[in-house]
This record gives sequence, structure tokens and C-alpha cells, in this order.
Amino acid sequence: MTDLTTGDLTTLSIAEAGRLMARGDLTSTALTQAFLARIETVDPALSSYVTVTADIALNAARQADMEMGGGLRRGPLHGIPVGLKDIYETAGVKTTGHSHLKIDYVPAIDAETVRRLKAGGAVILGKLGTHEFANGAMTPDQPFPPVRNPWNTAYQPGGSSSGSGAAVAAALCMGAMGSDTGGSIRNPAGFCAIAGIKPTYGLVSRCGIFPLSFSLDTAGPMAWTTEDCALMLDVLAGHDPNDQASARAPKVDYGASAQRPIKGMRIALARSWYEDSGAALSPDMAKAMEDAVRVMRDLGATVEDVTLPDIRDYHICGRVIITTEAHAIHRRDVIERPEKFGYTTRRRFQLGAFLSAEQYISALRFRRKLQQDTREAMRGYDLVMTPNQWGGPEIFEDPAPIFHFLGKPSLSMPFNVTGQPAASVCCGFGADGLPLAFQLAGRAFDEASVFAAGSAYERATPWRSHRPTL
Amino acid sequence: MTSSIKAPTLEEFRARAALTGLTLTEEDIGHLHKGYVGLLGLMERIPQRWSWAAEPPQVFRADE
Repeated sequence: MTDLTTGDLTTLSIAEAGRLMARGDLTSTALTQAFLARIETVDPALSSYVTVTADIALNAARQADMEMGGGLRRGPLHGIPVGLKDIYETAGVKTTGHSHLKIDYVPAIDAETVRRLKAGGAVILGKLGTHEFANGAMTPDQPFPPVRNPWNTAYQPGGSSSGSGAAVAAALCMGAMGSDTGGSIRNPAGFCAIAGIKPTYGLVSRCGIFPLSFSLDTAGPMAWTTEDCALMLDVLAGHDPNDQASARAPKVDYGASAQRPIKGMRIALARSWYEDSGAALSPDMAKAMEDAVRVMRDLGATVEDVTLPDIRDYHICGRVIITTEAHAIHRRDVIERPEKFGYTTRRRFQLGAFLSAEQYISALRFRRKLQQDTREAMRGYDLVMTPNQWGGPEIFEDPAPIFHFLGKPSLSMPFNVTGQPAASVCCGFGADGLPLAFQLAGRAFDEASVFAAGSAYERATPWRSHRPTL
Repeated sequence: MTSSIKAPTLEEFRARAALTGLTLTEEDIGHLHKGYVGLLGLMERIPQRWSWAAEPPQVFRADE
């Protein structure tokens, strides 16, 4: 066995830990114990977990050790400790959506994604904080404290997969599940300096995950490296007959794709989105973006400016769809028990009552047009590259705006509207020490190219060796 | 374009809110009015005129 310290264990990547366990140099039990100890010590300052399932985790870890000791290897997540955003139904474990409305809800069966994780031998450490029902901001009137950013607890971690982003960055789990309807994986991934991918719509089952917007919701992995996200997706991807949007996509070895060179890859740079849309990147983000483009070129990729549809078109298209569908989902509760919602969530869910059927259908028609126009603009290119965020995260104490969409257009929404896979990749830190990130988006079901480019960038830059001090 | 929909005054919005079935405080109505008018402004970017047979996807599929 290795003589790794607790700190060493919790900062291993999933790929590294998997190799050590496969060689018999590390046990899942030791790994899980290290994470549980760190959660107890560090998480009170972050509040990333709403429920820690220590006994369940230790039992799963011992089971994994027994299986691996007997020569059974379930896959890349066997024995790996992970966390779940608290909108993933988990058998026998409270699943609250970070809301008073579901505060005592204990599902009888697992979400399909949770079932796949368990079948792959993953160890579930617990449930992670989220914006209420993956939509509302974190407000003091919710049942759990708001999650803080591990790089500086005076800042927010982004959302809605806030606990997932903070827990991975703080080394409180090796990977986490998030969900992304308008950027909710990529936003906290970027603000917490981790990797996260919104897979192609339909690649990963949403069955058993609290919905926000049926036609835009995606579930996906978040981890310290892009390669680790690829290993998680290897376990998660696949058709599910119980999710009517689930696609029958060919099986791909995503872990292997993360090792692919990117020489000759063609990348469309969506410069007009961040230079011609009336909003501006922070100076740090603008410089980090230019540096990232240079790294991609040095790695042998061709990066060219390409004109895509106006980012404000995607922004409003997605927002009308989310507002309308979220209202339909939560309508009964906002009528009968409005006081149970946080004040921001409630108003975001109420707003859909004022939109007409014609406005919703126009947005759906517009989505198809944007999808087609984006595909046409990407012709001849493997990926789209664009910043993940306009600048740093918001200050923790600043009240979240009730209608956040009235600010700058969302840089993540385009790929929710088109359904393409899109990943957040850390590309450095601002003068204030807060993380910066860019996005890579592939063609539908071409997660492999996203993983190849993201991993190549991470190997060529020093950012994966920086961890927050806690 | 949806710009043909005129932004409602607070009074007009309050009358409409009464028909939604929602239980709303005066504060709720004020916030929702501001949000709706803002959304309406952004929605000017969404074309309103479509071919009558332009059918949106029933279940959106990225691989279609």
C-alpha cells in the first residue's frame, strides 16, 4: 500500500485513484475515510453538503474493496467517492431540492444516473447544496445555508450546482453530479476552477432528477479535471427508455478521447459574443481568453473567428422556454404553498403565468432556427470556443437579483438552446485570485472532441496544480 | 416580432395578475411587473411571424 497522506488522497484525480486501486496500492475505504474526515473539518466553512451519508459510503467502499480484491473491476468509478446535487433522487436518502417543499422527501428508488453510478461501483458521500429546484438563487429563507466559494468564502460559488462546484474544488469529493438547463454546471465549474460538462441533450438520462425545464434540462458530471469528467460520462451515458428525450447514441470511450492529440482540430472562436454584444469581459477574463486561444494554437489547433447568431438571441430564447416550462412544473405549488419557496425562486416560477402560448411556441420555433443557424456556422469546425463567464463571481453578501436575466446575456445559454455538449475549462485566475474559465462546445454527441481539447489544454497549462487554501 | 405587444402599466398588470390564479402580494406584483416588462423587451428579438406550418419539435432532439 502507498503511504499517501489524507491531503494527498483527497487531491488525487479520479484517473490517478483508479490506477492506484487497480494496482492494489490504495483502498476505497481509505479514500472514503479521508474524504469524510475532510468534509467534517472543512465543510462547515463552505456548506457544500446538505446531507452526508457516511455509513452508506463506508459500506459501499468496503464492498468495492472486497470486489476489487477478488479481481472484479466495475469500471473507472469503482471505489471512487462522489457527491450528488440534491435534486437527484437517491433511494432511502433525503432529496430536498434545497427547498422547504421537499424537506422530508425520501425517494424509494434511485434516479437512473444514480443507479448507473452505483452499478459502476461509485461511493456516494452525500447530497450537495443547490439553488432551490436548480433555479432560484440562494436566499436566507431556504432550509440550508448558502454554499460559499472555496477560493474566497466572501464570494458565491455560482449555481445552480453550487455545492457540486464547491465540494469538488475543496477536495470534498472526487466528482459530483450537476444539472445544466441554462448554465448550471458550467457556471459553478468556472467560478470554482473545476471542470464540468453539459452533455448533449438526450445523452444522459434525467429520469429521477427534479425537472426545471423539460426541453432543456441536462444532467452531467463535474470533477477536478476534464479527463475525470470523461471517465464519469463513460458510466453515465446511455439510452434510458424512461426518459422520453433520451437518445440512442453510439457508445464512445470518453476516457480514451481525453488522451487524443488536437493537432489539426478546427475551433470556431465566438468572438462576437463577447466583443460585440454590448457587454464586456473583465480585463482579467479578456486576457485569459486570449492566452487560452494562444495555447490551443500552440497545441496545433486552428482557431478562427466565426460569426454565430447573436448571443442575445439564444439568451432570450432559452429564458422564455425555461420561464414557461418551470411555471408549468411548479404551478400547483406556487399557487397553493407560495410561502414554502424562497422569495427569489417563487417569483421566478410565478413569472411564467404571464407568458402566452404564442410567446412560448415562438421561442420553440426560434430555438429550431438557432440550432440550424449554429450548425451552419460551425460547418468545417470541430468546436466552438468562448469565455465561460464575463468575469469573477458575485460577492456572497450581495442580494441576488430576482430576475437575473435582465443583466448581461448568458454565455452558457447558447449551448442549452442548441443542445450541443459544452464544457467549462479553468484558464487561470484574476488579480483577485478568483478563477477564470472558457467553454468548449462540440457538435451534437461529439463529447469526445470536447474532452480531447479540454484535456490537452489542462496538460499544457499549470492551473490543475492550484488548489484553494482552506 | 413580439414588440407588437405593448408593455402593460402596473395597473394593467395587476388586473392581469388577478386572472392567473396566483396568490400575490403587492410586492410580488411590483417585482413581477418589472420582470415581465424586462422580458418583453428582450423578446423583441424573437421573430413573431413564422410560416403557419413551422412546427416546433415536440420533444427537442439535438441529434435530429
